[in-house]
Amino acid sequence: MGVDFDVILEGLMTALEPMNLFWIALGGFLGTVVGMLPGLGPATAIALLIPITFGMDPVSALVLMAAIYYGAMYGGSRSSILLNTPGDGSAIAATFDGYPMAQKGQAGQALAISAIASLIGGLIAVVGFIMLAKPLASFALRFGPAEYFLLMIFTLSAIVALSKGAMVKGFISMTIGLLISTMGIDLQSGVHRFTFHLPELSEGIDFLIVIIGIYAVGEVMFNYIGIDKPRGKKKEVGKIWITKDQWKRSKWPIIRSAPLGFLIGVLPGAGGAIASMISYTTERQISKKPEEFGKGAIEGLAAPESSNNAASVGAFIPLLTMGIPGSGTTAVILGAVVMLGIKPGPLLFENDPELVWTFINSMFIGNIFLVILNILLVGLLVKILDTPAKILYPLILVLAFIGTYTLSYSPIDFTFLLIFGLLGLAMKLLSFPIAPLILAVIVGSDMEQNFRKSIVGADSALSIITMSPITIVLTLLTLLSLFYPMILGWFKKRKLNNLPK
Amino acid sequence: MKKLLTYIGLSSLLILGGCSSGGSGAEAEQFPTKPIELVAPATPGGGWDATARAIQKILKDEELVEGNINVVNKPGGSGEVGWQYLKGKDAHSLAINSSLLITNNLLGQSELSYEDFTPLAVLTTEWISIAVANDSPFADAKQLMEQLKEDPSSIKIALAPGLGNNDHLSFVQAAKEYGVDVSKLNILIYESGGDVVTALLGGHVDVATMSISESKEQHLAGKFKVISVSSAERLEGLEEVPTWQEQGVDMVFPHWRGILGPPDMTEEEIAYYDKAIGDMVETEAWTELMKNNEWELFYKNSAESAEFLKEQTQMYDTLLSESGLTD
Repeated sequence: MGVDFDVILEGLMTALEPMNLFWIALGGFLGTVVGMLPGLGPATAIALLIPITFGMDPVSALVLMAAIYYGAMYGGSRSSILLNTPGDGSAIAATFDGYPMAQKGQAGQALAISAIASLIGGLIAVVGFIMLAKPLASFALRFGPAEYFLLMIFTLSAIVALSKGAMVKGFISMTIGLLISTMGIDLQSGVHRFTFHLPELSEGIDFLIVIIGIYAVGEVMFNYIGIDKPRGKKKEVGKIWITKDQWKRSKWPIIRSAPLGFLIGVLPGAGGAIASMISYTTERQISKKPEEFGKGAIEGLAAPESSNNAASVGAFIPLLTMGIPGSGTTAVILGAVVMLGIKPGPLLFENDPELVWTFINSMFIGNIFLVILNILLVGLLVKILDTPAKILYPLILVLAFIGTYTLSYSPIDFTFLLIFGLLGLAMKLLSFPIAPLILAVIVGSDMEQNFRKSIVGADSALSIITMSPITIVLTLLTLLSLFYPMILGWFKKRKLNNLPK
Repeated sequence: MKKLLTYIGLSSLLILGGCSSGGSGAEAEQFPTKPIELVAPATPGGGWDATARAIQKILKDEELVEGNINVVNKPGGSGEVGWQYLKGKDAHSLAINSSLLITNNLLGQSELSYEDFTPLAVLTTEWISIAVANDSPFADAKQLMEQLKEDPSSIKIALAPGLGNNDHLSFVQAAKEYGVDVSKLNILIYESGGDVVTALLGGHVDVATMSISESKEQHLAGKFKVISVSSAERLEGLEEVPTWQEQGVDMVFPHWRGILGPPDMTEEEIAYYDKAIGDMVETEAWTELMKNNEWELFYKNSAESAEFLKEQTQMYDTLLSESGLTD
């Protein structure tokens, strides 16, 4: 199938109509805001907006909802960088180097590079969308239970390998996460696991509660402990624009991470959290200075930011080409557009090309709008660092509780929020890495379910490794990510030993 | 600070969107005396929530109820949390329900049954389809069932999102009619209908059972084949697909949605809702909504609903025990 440029241009013209520009801007702004707030993610925001879309033109509604979605990808990293509290799963990787950068007095530059990285990641992904939507959709179909299971194993092994020098602690952290993810009804058997006869627990604990609890509440508690200590000199905010050297360091990581994130985004069910995590670990492993990662390396922030925004664009491919939502947020969008009479499915491109291309072009415009908005906001946002702790931290707590409530409108979640806050505090005090736990909660239940589906009809559990070329590649990548640091360390040691004393 | 202000601004915008004010000219004693609350026992964005919000909009736009009507989300426990909430309310609260109210109870996951409430209406139904890959050896449901009869665990069957739901039980009932040992079926549970479609398209399962709304577009695009539908007559747009009845199974299996009221409603209150809901399903907006969602009108008023729920309970009881899910 060729790409018909007339249709694309026509879509661009529709996307540029003042009304649609307004929706893009509004959606982008709303998305940035909800992305910034811990717990209020794009899925919640879009779901709450559904009644408003009822009377809207379907094209405008889709444009608006998509803008909220990728707007949140820009916003999500703001609080990761400034407060060490990610707004959503896909912003976790931004805490690794974004927060240390802010601590070093480079907050402005961190915010700027993440916006730029998001823009480039988004634009590369949109081009990928135009050129490759259909072939990629059929590639994604080849991912069955075995492939997903191994992809998730790979992600987890990459993140455990990341906890350098503290592999055991990383592993324990991951195991706790996996345990949490077993709560709720087991789909394959219908058995309730660890639900304590609470109907609120029948679907398990929402991973966002874990994120908000451990990061936001835990961070506040952690800071409360040290509140009486005299604070060091006022934190530097630094320049707002990045330096030439910083750009040189980030350029290639951004460009490499975009297609990677885009591909992972296309897989239904994978999404931004996995994409940004894999990009981060990949960059760290191929970096010449891996020891700087985690201490404020700008490329460690740029890579996942490019990747998660590319993934959010990729997630629309299964939705628009097959009618299959690729993430929680696109599932909500699907429900909303169906109510408006759009039928996403394999025929959408043929039946309604104007809608599809207007939508795709709106992502182009939206990303450009968002980078301008976010860079303008940098000056304002860095002021958060100047806010006195006694104002800032209560505010974060309030937001954490509100965000938690919007997840399922159930006060029982506040208890879990506090429990996870305490867990987060304990992990910080004992210096356990947090990311393995969070990622395990995000992928754990899918990983288990996929494993159990994959062994139905398989000869043995190990035979799934050789089930397809994809599973073999994923297994090799997993082994590589686990043992690469070890091999590398061994080589370094040898080099050191060979040096003349 | 700025963050807080934006937050307040945003939340008030969202709240305003949820409840723009309606006329409040109701006379003092007449029902309703306060805004009506419609419980969606699910998070915003899902099917129940969408149904509730559509009902809210139509009842308000067409002025079928006096005063305001609000949607409240009470997710959790496959509807359990929302229905528990409704149980303690007065006649100004309603909730969306489906056969899960019945099956949760039969499966021992809930104490609640339809007898704890006042059934007010059954609104719509979706029909359930059986689909196979294009290159599947099974040209129709008969061939598929013959194979299952020979070896019930030779075929991977996908469905979502849980055992004991309509997609599952309709398949069980049909298979049972053919003499298949339904307790040995090899069933894979996926999280959502979208995942089931993906699994079938990717060749990771042999058969899938799902709502027509999930399978129709794929069938029309030639991505996979729908080989049977659970309706009494062939469906519009899928005229080439035979019903179960045509393939030797005497079964019509709806996947319905309805409205419940709290227990102990007065006759006057029931009559009020019978009128409002009866009028609602006649509106053009309702027809449009059903068309967009591939729903079919399945309206039953309060008295008919009570009878219908009773019949359904008996049917589900038999099916669940035969599929090995209950004793």
